[in-house]
Order: sequence, then C-alpha cells, then structure tokens
Amino acid sequence: MATSMRTKRVAKERQKIDKFGLPPGIELVDGNDLKEWLFDIRVLDNNPLYNGNVYQLKFVFSDSYPIEPPEVTFVDRPARPVPMHPHIYSNGIICLDLLGNQGWSPVQSAESVCMSIQSMLTSNNKNERPPGDEEFVRGNKQRPRDIEFLYHDNTV
Amino acid sequence: MSKSLQLKEEGNKHFQAGDYIGADGLYSKAIIADAKNPALYTNRAMARLKLGHWESVIADCTTCLSLSPQNMKAHYYLAQAQLSIRDFDSALENALAAHKLCAATNDKSLGAVTAMVLKCKKDRWGDREKKRLRLEREVEERMLDLLRRDRDEMLMAEESEIERRMIEEEANEKIATLSSVFEAARTQNQKKREVPDWAIDDISFDIMVDPVITKTGKSYERATIMEHLRRHPSDPLTREPLSASDLRPNLALRQACEEFLEQNGWAVDW
Repeated sequence: MATSMRTKRVAKERQKIDKFGLPPGIELVDGNDLKEWLFDIRVLDNNPLYNGNVYQLKFVFSDSYPIEPPEVTFVDRPARPVPMHPHIYSNGIICLDLLGNQGWSPVQSAESVCMSIQSMLTSNNKNERPPGDEEFVRGNKQRPRDIEFLYHDNTV
Repeated sequence: MSKSLQLKEEGNKHFQAGDYIGADGLYSKAIIADAKNPALYTNRAMARLKLGHWESVIADCTTCLSLSPQNMKAHYYLAQAQLSIRDFDSALENALAAHKLCAATNDKSLGAVTAMVLKCKKDRWGDREKKRLRLEREVEERMLDLLRRDRDEMLMAEESEIERRMIEEEANEKIATLSSVFEAARTQNQKKREVPDWAIDDISFDIMVDPVITKTGKSYERATIMEHLRRHPSDPLTREPLSASDLRPNLALRQACEEFLEQNGWAVDW
C-alpha cells in the first residue's frame, strides 16, 4: 500500500509538472523514474552570493512518501557546486525544518520544496557554512532527515 | 493448541513460502477439524485468490460471512474475486462493506481497501462505457442503414433524372449530418477528461472515496489522513494538533465524488 501511494503520487506530480510547468528558476532535469529526481535551481534576483550559478537538488522519494518527507540534498559537481548558506553543509545536506519528520507535511510536494529552498537562498546574505561544518561533514553517517531533527532540537 | 489451529499455523507457513496449493490443502484439513472458525475460511480464500480459483474464494467468503457477518477480510476477498469474474456491482458492494468496517475500527488495511473501492468503480465504469459505446455504434449503423434504404426506395420510385439527383443529394446530406453528430458526441466525450480539484485528496492526489473534513475546512481521503495522523497528529496545512477524533465525514463531498466517478471512472487512473 505505501509503495503504491508513492509511485502514484510521484507519477501525478510528474504529470502536473509536464502540464503546468515549474516556477522560474526551477527545472526538472531528470524525473524519469519514480524514486529519484534531479532539479536545477537558480536564484532569480541579483544576490551576489548566487548570481549566475546553477545548483542541483537531488530528491529521493522513500516508499512512505508523501507521508514521510523526501530526502533532499544538493549535489556536488564542478558545474553544480553546493551553494554557500548557513543552513547548507558543504556535503550538500540541507538543514530545513520542512524536510525533517517534524516539519514535513504530506500536502507539500517536490515543487513546493524546491520553491522553499529557492527562497531560502534568495533571502540569505551570509557567505558562510553552518557551525561545525567540517567536523559534521567528516563524521556524518546518518541520513539527512534524522540529523536535521537533532540539529534543530539542539540549537533552536 | 487444537488440531485445527495447528493445521492453520502449518498452512500459514506454506502460504508465506508461496506454496498456495499446500496452504489450501492444510486450511481445508483445518476446516474439517473445526468448521466453525471464520478465520479458516478467510485464510483459505486468500490462498485461493492467489491461485485464481475465484468461485471457491466466493464460496469460502460466503461461508465466513454466514458465521461472522462483520468480517472485513471476507468482504475484501469477496470483492476481489467478484471483480475478477466481472460481477462489478457485487464487487463494489463488498468493497464498500469492507471499507466501512475498516473505517469503523481504524484498521490498517483502510488504504488497500480504499484502493479496491476505486478499482471496482473504475472497472464497473469501464464495462458500462464499453457497452454504451457498442450500443451507440449499433444505433448509428442502424440509423445510417435506414436512411440509405429510404433513399434507395425513393430512387427506385422516381423516373426523372433531376428529381433523382435531388433525392440523392438530400439523402447524402442527412447521412453526413447523422455521422457527424455521432462523431462529435464521441470526441466530446474524450475531451472532457479533467478531474476537478475538489475531488482530489491533497496527500495521495487520488480522487476521494470517503472524504473527511478537518477543523480548517479542508477535506482529505480518510485512509491517507489517518496514515498521516498515525505518525504526526497534526493538521497537514496548519500543523496544529489534530487527532482522528477531530475528523468528520464530509457527506456532501462524498456524494459529489461518487457522482463524478459514476460518470467518469477513468478518473481513478488520472
């Protein structure tokens, strides 16, 4: 049952995107399977931190999606760097309550998550990584949605 | 443990290992040892579903329901078997009965049973649609035939070449008009395939079977919001605390979704 909900729901999100398109600055570059999608994402204003750069988000939909959040990370490639942001670790892991088990809601979608991340970049003016980035990137073996949780509970 | 329950356990092992024939045999022995245990019939029905023995699934479920009328599994398996033999009305009736029992007891199968209700509705619509299209074509052909015959009779009775040409032209125009009216109806039918947003559950993106409304006034499919509430007792829109007891059935919307599906069974696979 959970599996079929995920496949159907992701397929329908795909249909919607094909039909109505995505907001400016967001582009689905690989949405062919129903488990893993890649989006290219750009910041639309002249924010000097991100101006002219294209970033790439990887979505992994678990079988419990959309009851559970998708796993969303920035990919790290020469042409698609990880954007500088106090809530984005240099290995691409994003600290956003929306993506944690507590902050997630099943009425969110891949599109709405992309828009949240886009606006998170747009509104940022700090050229820095989260505190403890180096240590975190070296030591982390956990799955993103489990860490986020801890991070928030500890610091907020 | 009684002999019958031992045989049942043994049957379950065979079932889990994928040996449905073996499981069927063991459940049958268990039934001989104790003919009054409803679970033995539903277990055997499940094995027989896997084997595709629809008629014996129906027999087992019927026996089970005579022993235990509120048996959710019996209704659910019965619906599956009836759908396989294209008894659409009975299948839907039993799927809805299973759904009602699941909703009342907060059973974890609610999601699967909801999907079954939708499948019954879709298949029943598909069957009706096929029959309707066939009938329409028959009517069209019969009408065209009548027009042609009418024309030929008139032509036979008429000597004058000018009159004959007029009859022919007039008849051909009628034939063309009739064909285009039927053709227009067919394409019109194909064009309107859009599911209105009000019928769609915002969690599964499926059309709703049993919408329930939250404090915010928003409705969700009962099965999916329950699945969400099991993990997070919060309103999906506002994140305010929300529990299953806060949900109320949205009867008017349920009726509207039912009516929409009645006419638009394709919407299940939208």
